Amino acid sequence: MASLEQLKLTFFEECSEALSQIESGLTALREGAGSDDTINAVFRSVHSVKGGAGIFGFDGLVNFAHVFETVLDAMRDGELAATPEVVDILLPANDVLSDLIALSRAGEPIPASISSASRIALESLLHGHAAGKDAAGTDAAGSEDDDGTPAPAEFEGIDFVPVRAEQFDDAALMPEAAAEPGSAGEHTYRIVFRPYPELLNKANEPLYLLRELRQLGQLDLTVETDKLPPLAELEPDHPYLSWTGTLRTAAPREAIDEVFEFVVGDCELVIEADTAAASTGGAPAAADMLIWSAEPDAAVAEAESPVLFPVAQPTAAALPAVAALPTVEALPRVQALPRAEAPSFDMTAAAEPADMAAAPRATASRPTTGGATTTRVELEKIDRVVNMVGELVISQAMLGQVVHALPEEVRGSLLQVLDEVVHHTRELKDSVMSMRAQPVSAVFQRMPRLVRELATKTGKKVRLEMAGENTEVDRSIIERLGDPLTHIIRNAIDHGIEAPSSRAAAGKAEEGTIRLAAEHRGSRIVIEISDDGAGINPERVLKKARDRGLVGADTNLSEDEINNLIFLPGFSTAEIVSDISGRGVGMDVVRRNIQDVGGRISIKSERGRGMTIQLALPLTLAVMDGMVVRVAQETYVMPMSAIVECLRPPASDVCNLIGTRGVLQLRGGLVPLVHLSELLEIGGASDSDERVIIIGDAGDGSRFGIVVDELCGHQQVVVKSIEESYGVVPGIAGATILGNGRVAFILDIEKFADLASNQNLAAGVSRFASAAPSSNAIVN
Amino acid sequence: MPAAAVLKVLVVDDQNSVRQMTRMTLEQIGVRNIHEAENGREAMDTAALQPLDLIISDYNMPEMDGLALLRAVRGHPAARKVPFILLTGRSDRELVVQAAQAGANNYLIKPFTADILRQKIEQVMGKLS
Repeated sequence: MASLEQLKLTFFEECSEALSQIESGLTALREGAGSDDTINAVFRSVHSVKGGAGIFGFDGLVNFAHVFETVLDAMRDGELAATPEVVDILLPANDVLSDLIALSRAGEPIPASISSASRIALESLLHGHAAGKDAAGTDAAGSEDDDGTPAPAEFEGIDFVPVRAEQFDDAALMPEAAAEPGSAGEHTYRIVFRPYPELLNKANEPLYLLRELRQLGQLDLTVETDKLPPLAELEPDHPYLSWTGTLRTAAPREAIDEVFEFVVGDCELVIEADTAAASTGGAPAAADMLIWSAEPDAAVAEAESPVLFPVAQPTAAALPAVAALPTVEALPRVQALPRAEAPSFDMTAAAEPADMAAAPRATASRPTTGGATTTRVELEKIDRVVNMVGELVISQAMLGQVVHALPEEVRGSLLQVLDEVVHHTRELKDSVMSMRAQPVSAVFQRMPRLVRELATKTGKKVRLEMAGENTEVDRSIIERLGDPLTHIIRNAIDHGIEAPSSRAAAGKAEEGTIRLAAEHRGSRIVIEISDDGAGINPERVLKKARDRGLVGADTNLSEDEINNLIFLPGFSTAEIVSDISGRGVGMDVVRRNIQDVGGRISIKSERGRGMTIQLALPLTLAVMDGMVVRVAQETYVMPMSAIVECLRPPASDVCNLIGTRGVLQLRGGLVPLVHLSELLEIGGASDSDERVIIIGDAGDGSRFGIVVDELCGHQQVVVKSIEESYGVVPGIAGATILGNGRVAFILDIEKFADLASNQNLAAGVSRFASAAPSSNAIVN
Repeated sequence: MPAAAVLKVLVVDDQNSVRQMTRMTLEQIGVRNIHEAENGREAMDTAALQPLDLIISDYNMPEMDGLALLRAVRGHPAARKVPFILLTGRSDRELVVQAAQAGANNYLIKPFTADILRQKIEQVMGKLS
């Protein structure tokens, strides 16, 4: 049995779901995209929070949720319109709700100051819009809530007499329910259902339709078997059976129509409110009338003949219905019901429990709207599986090494098995990773609000477009995406999008557009944030950089390189420092955040037309593609994502400039080099021409080379954190276990870029960079 | 006098936490055979599958709310006599009236104690042993 604490945890998890539903619902309403369903969904979420909070005794939360809920209820009832002004009060209310949930979760006291302003705003909505009833309602609710006493057992003033179970017989229940108009709202419908061959040809199954129909209420059907030929003449795929009878149901007429939605036109179908057969006993489908009589029930025929029997002349044929089915007889090839199913069609008697057992399965398999079957699993459990799969990947790699070391004659058959193990391990890994994946909408959905608020604050007009919200990525990455995205969007609105007047002057639409898009590319997720604002002004950026001494006065930089200067620490281009983007400390932090999760950030700007920032992130942090390299006797792993290319250049292409560790001439450009052996102080590294240079991407578009002795191969490695044991070691991203069982460090190549540039005397490279404008050399 | 231990009770609520809490409270008064459903539709499936002794259902649920479930239960040939207790919030006064008309046996206001739960069930089922 779950403990109370665990239940509370479950409750808070539900709360976070509710919060994001409220947020997205309100956002839709704010943009005018909401419907009654949206309001209902938001209401339900707030209501759930309130209900759960009550049960778990979070009174402060209950009180606020109650006011919030009352406003939504007024909207639901149409007393309060979902105008932008109203939603603008509700959105902050959701923030307050979120804070209150966080405080409740932390078990901290809830100061009244947190919710009072929002509460007053919410109450003013109620008083303002529906003065009499609702004002009274809130007051009553307020006094009810404020005393903090547990809920009463009874509603006062309601005359509800609990009904004893044994008093519940048919006589007491059914006629009353039927007689009470509008309460239970039961109606009796007369149903005639005669499948045409087309119905079966289109792969519909009458049995399922009838089962669904039976879900709606009490179904009394008679099966017409008179068209059933002798067994020898039976065509297996012809519909010989038809059904007539009544359905007593509280469901609306549409629900019945829905059952037959896909077979309309492929059968003779009559659904009619049957006023004559108000009680079950009066229905023509008496239990003893199994075979539909050739003489139609007089009352039925007379009352409904225009619809049911188009040529209802008893003399026309033995069966009037045949006339309505002209094609049946003519078709040479016909369909029939599976015989095995037929016996269960007898529904004239009250359903037997065993018979009923079949019904829910039919509905269960029917896809329900939005109700994907899910199960809640603690993250910890999934992480354990992820870890185990990691171990499995390692064991599999070890197994591979062992097998390959075996003599040829034993190896053959083992290799085949090994191949399968490799294949299955990879699939297992992918499935487990997908369990941890979440759609990026978890982060994206916070952005519309941000854009709206910033637009209001800056007096700009901004529209946000989003695409690919359902793209999935590991939740650990999702968690770290929020801040960078927020910052980039802030920058875009603050610095990118121009004021409406300047936009108009530049011949652009007054409303600026920010586009946020996510998609999978290979083993990465790429998120692009683009705006149609002013773009980066290269002269201004370069001037600032020079003023700040970030770039030498005479350094010659390409436009791309200039754009990348905004990623340098302490860079700010806004002439006026605003309270939105802060002091421009952002972009280097953003880049660092993205790099920390193994991602890359790049920037494209077109002056006057806008700019695009692209984030490329790995799909998971737990397993990565690595390049195994050797330096002297040591083995390291480098993330493939950071490697641009590997090459073994002729010695003549490597120049040892004074004050540098060497530069590589690569396709006309110069790339600074780092010697892994020197950086990590490993003795015994090869000094021959056999050395391999790995070209890495510094993350800002610039390149650098890492010199190693040998490339050992490309391998999927499981990332194990060493931070817990050793703290943060610069240049080391983690560790992994290789196929031979040895531990290898995973190098943080992007940090090596910094080490590379520090190691190289800045002057040397910079001087060289300015001498060779086309180079990709690092600028600082 | 029905024995609590043999009562087969279906708890319907879309919130897992509330469902579990109701389950815990039911267990406190000795009920052992507890089924759960997340919404009216699921509940209806369960109710049609097996004989139940009692349904305790929340009102506010997606897919099919408590009242719709009550009506569906009452209209179902096999399940229509199953006693039904509707869970309501403190402010759902009008709902109780509707529930009475639709054939609810009793109602229960959230949050509730084990004693109140027992009392409400006994009003419907007779004294529990």
